[in-house]
Amino acid sequence: MVKFAHLIPVFPFLAFLINIFFGRRLKGESALVAIFASAISFVLSAITFQGVLAGEGSYSLGHWLTIYGTPLNFGVTVDSLSVMMLLVVTIVGTLIQIYSVGYMHDDPRFPRYFAYISLFMTSMLGLVLADNFVMLFIFWEGVGLCSYLLISFWFERPAAAKAGLKAFIVTRIGDTGFLIGIFLLFFVGKTFYFADLTHVSGNEFLLTAAALLIFMGAVGKSAQFPLHVWLPDAMEGPTAVSALIHAATMVAAGVYLVARTFGLFVAFPLCLEVVAVIGGISALMAASIATVNNDIKRVLAYSTVSQLGLMMLGLGVGGYSAGTFHLMTHAFFKALLFLCAGSVIHAVHTQDIQKMGGLLSKMKITGITFILGTLALSGVPPFSGFWSKDEILLEAWNNGHPILFWLATLTSLLTAFYMARLIFLVLFGKPRSDMHAHESPKTMTVPLMILAVFAVFVGLIGSPVAHHAFQNFVKFEGHHVASEVSGGGWIVGLSTLVSLFGIGLAYLFYVQNNKILPVAFCARFTLIYKILLNKYYVDEIYDFLFVKPCLRFCDFLSRFDFAVIDCMVNSVADFTQGCSEIIRRVQTGLVQNYMLVQVWGLIIFILTVGKICFQF
Amino acid sequence: MIPLGFFVAISAVLFCLGIYGVLIRRNVVGILISIELILNAANINLVAFNKYLGTPDGMGQIFALFVVAIAAAASVVGLVLVIAIYRNGKSIFADDYNLMKW
Amino acid sequence: MTELIFYFIAVCTCVFAFLTVTARDIFHCAVWLAFCLLSVAGIYFYLDAEFVGVIQVLVYIGGIITLFIFAIKLTAHIDDKTILQTNKQVLPSALAAAVFFYLLFKVIGFDPWAKIQPDVQVISLKQLGESLMTTYALPFEFISLLLLAAMVGAIVIGKVKR
Repeated sequence: MVKFAHLIPVFPFLAFLINIFFGRRLKGESALVAIFASAISFVLSAITFQGVLAGEGSYSLGHWLTIYGTPLNFGVTVDSLSVMMLLVVTIVGTLIQIYSVGYMHDDPRFPRYFAYISLFMTSMLGLVLADNFVMLFIFWEGVGLCSYLLISFWFERPAAAKAGLKAFIVTRIGDTGFLIGIFLLFFVGKTFYFADLTHVSGNEFLLTAAALLIFMGAVGKSAQFPLHVWLPDAMEGPTAVSALIHAATMVAAGVYLVARTFGLFVAFPLCLEVVAVIGGISALMAASIATVNNDIKRVLAYSTVSQLGLMMLGLGVGGYSAGTFHLMTHAFFKALLFLCAGSVIHAVHTQDIQKMGGLLSKMKITGITFILGTLALSGVPPFSGFWSKDEILLEAWNNGHPILFWLATLTSLLTAFYMARLIFLVLFGKPRSDMHAHESPKTMTVPLMILAVFAVFVGLIGSPVAHHAFQNFVKFEGHHVASEVSGGGWIVGLSTLVSLFGIGLAYLFYVQNNKILPVAFCARFTLIYKILLNKYYVDEIYDFLFVKPCLRFCDFLSRFDFAVIDCMVNSVADFTQGCSEIIRRVQTGLVQNYMLVQVWGLIIFILTVGKICFQF
Repeated sequence: MIPLGFFVAISAVLFCLGIYGVLIRRNVVGILISIELILNAANINLVAFNKYLGTPDGMGQIFALFVVAIAAAASVVGLVLVIAIYRNGKSIFADDYNLMKW
Repeated sequence: MTELIFYFIAVCTCVFAFLTVTARDIFHCAVWLAFCLLSVAGIYFYLDAEFVGVIQVLVYIGGIITLFIFAIKLTAHIDDKTILQTNKQVLPSALAAAVFFYLLFKVIGFDPWAKIQPDVQVISLKQLGESLMTTYALPFEFISLLLLAAMVGAIVIGKVKR
C-alpha cells in the first residue's frame, strides 16, 4: 500500500504547471486546482500512513547516478518520521490554501500565488520522502526557491524584494555548509543514504566536521542563531505564506534534517551538544526580543525562532521523539496563530499592536481561535503545546543537561509572557486607534476553526491518555520514551506553574496597570529595552562585518574594472592609433622621397645579397 | 688598349650622377634631364660591351639605338605632361605636388 | 695618342655631367647636358660605333635638347635664378649616390671581364642596316609604333582646352 508514495509530490507539481501556464485563463479556479491537488496528496499520505502502521517501509525507484563507483538511486523513504511529516504538511498546507482564497482575494497575481504554493508543497513533500542526501538537497533548494518567490511576492515594495533576497542569501550560507558536509560525508563515510548513517565509519574528526556542516544547513533553514536574521524580515510576504512556510513547514525542514541525520549525530556526541546549545541560545534570544516587539507578525516570527530552538534543544539532548513531537504540535498551533494574525491584519490594515485593542468583541471567531492557539503555545495543559514541551524538558533533565533545562524553562516563561501580552494588547482593552474591524469571510474562519481543533487536541496523541502513542511510533532505536521514566512529575508541575506565571505577569503589565507599569519598566531598564527592541543589533553587526566590506569590495572591483581593465583595452586601441598617427607621416606625397627610399633599399639589398652570395 | 672596366666606370659615374640629380632636383624638367643622363650611362655600357665582346650582328649598337628612340619618346611625353601640369598648378616644382600625402 | 684623346673625352663627360646636376639655372643645366651628350657621342666614335654616335648627336642634341629648351622657356619663372634648385634631401641622396658608385666600382673590380681586351672586328654600317631590317625587324616596327603613340599622346595632352 505504500509503493506509490512517490506520487504524493507529483500532484502538487501538476497543479504548479497548470497554474503557471494557464493561470491567467483560470483566474479564480486556479485556487481550486491547487487545493484539489493538495487534498489528493493528503489522501495518499493517509493511505501511506495506513501502510506504515501495517509495517511497510522504504523502497527504491531506480538507478540515477554512479558516483566514484557508488550507485545513487532515486529512493523513497517511508517510515514513521516521514509519514508523520507528510500528514502535517498536507493537512496544514491544504487548510492554508483554503484560507488564502479569502486572504489573497483581490490580488492581481492570484493564480501565480497558488502556483508557487503548489511548487512549495511539491518540494516539501519530496524533501520528506527523499532517502538520500542528494535528493534531499534538491528539494531543500526547491523550498528555498519557493520561500524566496513567496516572500517577495509583492515585489513592488522594495522592503519585500530585499527581504526575499536576504532570506535567500542567508539560507544560502547554511546551504553551502550543508553541501560541503554532504561531500565530506561521502568521501569519508562513502555513503549518501540516511539508512547507512547509524553504521558509518571513518575518520572521526572529519565525520564530526561533516555532521556539523550538515547542521549548518539546518541552522540556516530553521533560522537559528546566527543565521536567524532572515525570518523576521520574511514577514514582508503574505501572512498565509508566513503561516505555511515560515511557521509550519519549511523552517521545520531543518529540524527534520537533524532528525534524519540523528544516527550520525548520536555517534559523535559533540555534534549533539552543539545542536542543543545553539537551539538553546536561539530560543532564549528570540523569546527575549519578542517581549518588546510591537509588530504582530514579528512577535510570531521570533516566537517561531524560539520554538525551533526548543526543538533543536530537544533533539540535541537526545530526545528524538520529543523534538519531533514538538515539531508536529508547533506546526498546528503556529499556523493557527499566523492565520489569526492574518485575519486581524486583513480587518484592521495595520500590523502595529500598539494601535489595536478590543478586537475580541468585533471578531469573535478569530479572537477565540487566537486565544486557543496562545494557550497551546504557552504550554498550558491540556492543550497540545504542553505535552510536547514537557517531553523536551523531561529529556533535558533526565539526560543530564541542567543548564539547558533551566534555559528551556526560562524560555517557556518568556513565551507565555509575550503571547499573553499579544493577546491582551490586541484582543482586550479599549481600541487604541480608529479602526473599523469586522469578522473575516468563511473561507478564512473555517480553516481557523479546524486548525484550532488540531491545536487543542493533537497533543493528546503523545500524552499518557493515549499511552504515548506518538513516542512509540516515532522513535529512534535504542532510545526510550522520556515520559515513561518515573521521577519526572515535579517537572510537569513546574512547567505548568511557569506558564501560568507568565500569563499572570502579562496580565499584571498589560491589563491591570497598563498605563503605568510597561512605561515605568522601560524607563528603568532603558539600555536593556533598547537592546531588545533593536534585536541585539545582530543585523547591524552583520552589516558592519560582512555586508559593508563586501559592498566596498564590489565597488573596488567595479572601479578596478573600469580603471585598469578598460584602460588596458582602450590603451591597446590608443596605442594602435598612436602608432598609425606616427607612421602615416611616411606618406609625404613627394615622389622624390619615395625614390630615395627605393635607392637606399636597392643598396641594402645588393649589400645583403652580395654578402651572402658573393663574399662582397 | 683601354680596359673594358674603364668604360663601365664612366657609365657608373654618369649613372650615379643621374640618380643624384633625380633625387635632388626641384624643377621637374631638371629631373627629366637627369633621367637622360641615366639612359646615356646605359647606352655607353651597351656600346662598350658590344665592342669588347663582339656580337654577331651588332646587337649592342642596335640596342643602343632603340634606347635612344625610347628615351626620345619618353622625354616627349614627360615634357608635355610638365607643360600640362604647369598650366594647371602654375608651378614646376615637384615639392608643390603633394596631394597624396597623409 | 688616341688614348690621351679618349681620356680627355672621358673627363669631359664626367665634368659636364657633374655640371648638369649642380647647375642653378635650369637653362644652364640643359646646355651642360648638351655638351655631355656630345662627349658621349665622342666616346661612341672612339668605340667604332659611328652610326650610333651620329644618331646620338642628331636625335639627342638636335631633338631632345631642343625640346628641353622649349619646355624650359615655356615654364620659366621670373625669379628662377634665386629660387633654390635642390630640395631638402641633398645629403641622403649624395650619400646614396656615393655608396652606389662605390658598390659598382667594387663590382667592376673583382670580375675578370673588367680586364679583357677588345675584339678587332668592326661592324660596318651595311651590317647594321641588314641586321636592323632582318633580325631586329620586329622591334624596329614596334619602335615606330611607340613613337607614333608618343606623338599622338603628346599632342592630345598638350592641347589647350577651350
